[in-house]
Amino acid sequence: MKYFKVSFFIIMTLCLLCSVTFAARIEISSPGEQTIPLAMTRLLPMGVGGVQSAIETEFQQVLLGDLELSGLFDMTDPASFLSDADKLGLRRTEIDFYQWRMLGAEALIKGGYSVASGKLTIELRLFDVITQRLLTGRRYVGKLTDVRKIAHTFADQILKSLTGEKGPFSTKIAYISKRTGRKELYMMDVDGYKPIRMTDHRSIVLNPDFSPTRKELIFTSYKKGNPDLYRKEIYTGRESRLSLKQGLNIGGRYSPDGREIALTLSKDKNSEIYLLGTDGTIHRRLTNHYAIDVDPSWNPKGNKIAFVSDRRGNPNIFIVDVHTLKVTRLTYEGKYNATPAWSPKGDRIAYSRMDNGVFNVFTIREDGTDERQLTFGKGSKEHPRWSPDGRFLIYSNDLNGGEKSIWIMRADGTGAKKISAAGGNDSHPAWSDRW
Amino acid sequence: MESSRKQRWQQLQSVFEPGFKQMLLVSILLHVLLPVLYYSPFFPKREIEKPPVYRVNLVNKIVKNPQAGRPEAAPVKKKPAIKPKPKPAVKPKPIPPKPKPVPKPKPVPKPKSVPKAEPIKKKPAVKPKPKIQAPSKKAKDTQADAIKAMQAKRDRQALIAGYKDELIELTEQPKSPITGAPVGMMDGKGDEAGVSAIAFIQEFIQQQWNFSKYQAVGNPEAEAKLFYNTDGTLLHYKFIKKSGNSAFDESLIRAIAKSRQLPQSLPESMEFHIFFNLKDMLDNP
Amino acid sequence: MQKLTITGLVIFFALSLLVSGCAKKPAGDTSEVKETTQVEMQQEQPAEIMDDKVEDKPFDAAAAARAAERAAAKGLERIHFDFDQYILTDAAKSILVSNAGLLRAAAAVKVLIEGHCDERGSDEYNLALGEKRALATKNYLVSLGVAAERMNIISYGEEMPIDAARTKEAWAKNRRANFKVKR
Repeated sequence: MKYFKVSFFIIMTLCLLCSVTFAARIEISSPGEQTIPLAMTRLLPMGVGGVQSAIETEFQQVLLGDLELSGLFDMTDPASFLSDADKLGLRRTEIDFYQWRMLGAEALIKGGYSVASGKLTIELRLFDVITQRLLTGRRYVGKLTDVRKIAHTFADQILKSLTGEKGPFSTKIAYISKRTGRKELYMMDVDGYKPIRMTDHRSIVLNPDFSPTRKELIFTSYKKGNPDLYRKEIYTGRESRLSLKQGLNIGGRYSPDGREIALTLSKDKNSEIYLLGTDGTIHRRLTNHYAIDVDPSWNPKGNKIAFVSDRRGNPNIFIVDVHTLKVTRLTYEGKYNATPAWSPKGDRIAYSRMDNGVFNVFTIREDGTDERQLTFGKGSKEHPRWSPDGRFLIYSNDLNGGEKSIWIMRADGTGAKKISAAGGNDSHPAWSDRW
Repeated sequence: MESSRKQRWQQLQSVFEPGFKQMLLVSILLHVLLPVLYYSPFFPKREIEKPPVYRVNLVNKIVKNPQAGRPEAAPVKKKPAIKPKPKPAVKPKPIPPKPKPVPKPKPVPKPKSVPKAEPIKKKPAVKPKPKIQAPSKKAKDTQADAIKAMQAKRDRQALIAGYKDELIELTEQPKSPITGAPVGMMDGKGDEAGVSAIAFIQEFIQQQWNFSKYQAVGNPEAEAKLFYNTDGTLLHYKFIKKSGNSAFDESLIRAIAKSRQLPQSLPESMEFHIFFNLKDMLDNP
Repeated sequence: MQKLTITGLVIFFALSLLVSGCAKKPAGDTSEVKETTQVEMQQEQPAEIMDDKVEDKPFDAAAAARAAERAAAKGLERIHFDFDQYILTDAAKSILVSNAGLLRAAAAVKVLIEGHCDERGSDEYNLALGEKRALATKNYLVSLGVAAERMNIISYGEEMPIDAARTKEAWAKNRRANFKVKR
């Protein structure tokens, strides 16, 4: 009887628990729209200084370029804008959100500018149209020439408030250009604007990389005959030879903490991957194989390095553990895989694969699964490098009759566009960290 | 028998330790407690209660009239209002006198609720019958000539009416491409009145939800409860679980804000427990 | 054998040029540039030179060395490789045999072996490959009796093509090891 009672009680409890009624359950496993409808009004003049349409146009163009590249937005057609677009009101209460909602916009950018005694002030706001909230507001004060910089910085800010992570638009891209007839080091904005020549070696300069901690670049140059590794401070222009071992000193890559440099040395008659201190002393040899070992690329944790080796016959990507020196093979498909670049997010490794003489950019997970081809068609796409936030990739593409230029695309391979000007034969891009 | 059993029982008991009974009880209790605990709210286990799977059409947005989007379906809306009316007027009469015309009324009620395609299917099947029946009866029965004449007349009238209907249908009313499609769905028949409230809510809120894959970090999931009254007005909502990814959560708040008023009423005031995630988006990059 | 006799003839010819050159200009150790111009001038009148005595012993050692140098500078032929390979082909080996003869003859000459690649493939990989090519060349010459200390190697990868066209022929030309004589 006792047992009966107990079991009855238990069964009753179970029944009670099971019979709890639930609301109608619905699963929505993807959004209906995968872009954010964004309305961006023109900058309006505030107070003194009057109308400076050059500033308005440039700002608009730069910000729009960045936002379009992000792929996040569906820009609301400015032709459909209603009266609120021409009102300066930057305060939440001054905006007629209803108008914007009618146009289908979910986010709204408004801004004003003023010029006074050579100083440019731009005030910008990003609003959530639906909840009528201010998402981000910024005031930038700078020189008249800072319009682009301000636009890029605000684009970074917009991405931060809508995704939680800043955009990479106010960073820099270093690359090698043959504009002078010789391969020299250049630097430009992320949209290809303002290319500046950094070296005058009148030799061959190759393969730059930014220091993650200082405003500094490393690269390889034949200036003194041998391919040596150089370091250059960007603002002072100070330059020094960091590694001048007999043979190759190429493919230098700063570790994520900026304390070491992985590179290829061939001082012992064979190319191997080494770790250097920032003073140029050898810390460690990472590979030991008679095959070619080149192109190191750090993972963001700084404990693994992807590199290219032909130890299994054809050039393929391998990964070496910096501490245990254990080498694992990453790529098996294709006959020629080179120039690995580890995403700063750590999840994927980009590289280029040659098929029928044409390189295309691929990505793969660290464990060798989920390989994806990102670029297709004509033009050899080489030297992929990630943006510091892992959102974008840059690479060189020789689509234009054999002349290489720098291209940018989203990390999923969409939105590819050329950013470097024609006539440079530009290659070997490298993306700076946050500037 | 009794005693021997008892004896055996006692023998058995003597083998065990004195506290065995209690221990056994405790053990059973503990075992039973396990499932109880498992099903208790202390162990949330959402994966077991699989949310119902609905067909989600990502290409076509939910519309007030699911057929409106189809060009050939456009005129339908006007006609059904007219059509059902004349038919009942003609047909209810034949029903009481004779069982023969009964097949005819059958298609009639359906067009009422589902005005579009049903009649097409049924009518061709119905029409031939009267044709055959009428002549055969005339030849055999001589008595009920008058009735038959009446019948024939009615039949003919009905036939003509049927032909007219058919004509109208053939000229103006399209067939549904999928005959068995459920009411209210894209390929189905009928307007939003027949849409399942849950399916409607699902598609509607999904359409209000804007989120870019470039915003996605990891695999965010969130749950919210939405309470609607019969007018389709959102009374209140609450998040059962937020994803922790502010971009994701805010996109949901926006979607809910846009769903404050549904474009149609609900059969009753309803509560919806909605699971938001990006499974379908992230799986198909 | 044929190669050797040709080499011998070249050395002989160069020697004879030099002998006459030195006879006219005793201060033989001026700058290198001047010397070469002189030689080119002399080349235009070979008839005169033939008049001089070939077996002029007193000048022999130094003059012969310099002649061999020059012969080496001119005669060292480049070799070619297959795609993504640094193994010497038979054709390359026979060229290297003659190159080794020139280098052995000109003992004072130091040579820089440059490894090059065609434009296909990754730049860094090609730098390493070019180096392998230069090294393979050097090692083979060492096996033929050329002192290793006399040879340095450098790789230019795909940076210095001799034919910028994107054809099989151009690529074949660019996959090479060059020799540069230096003293």
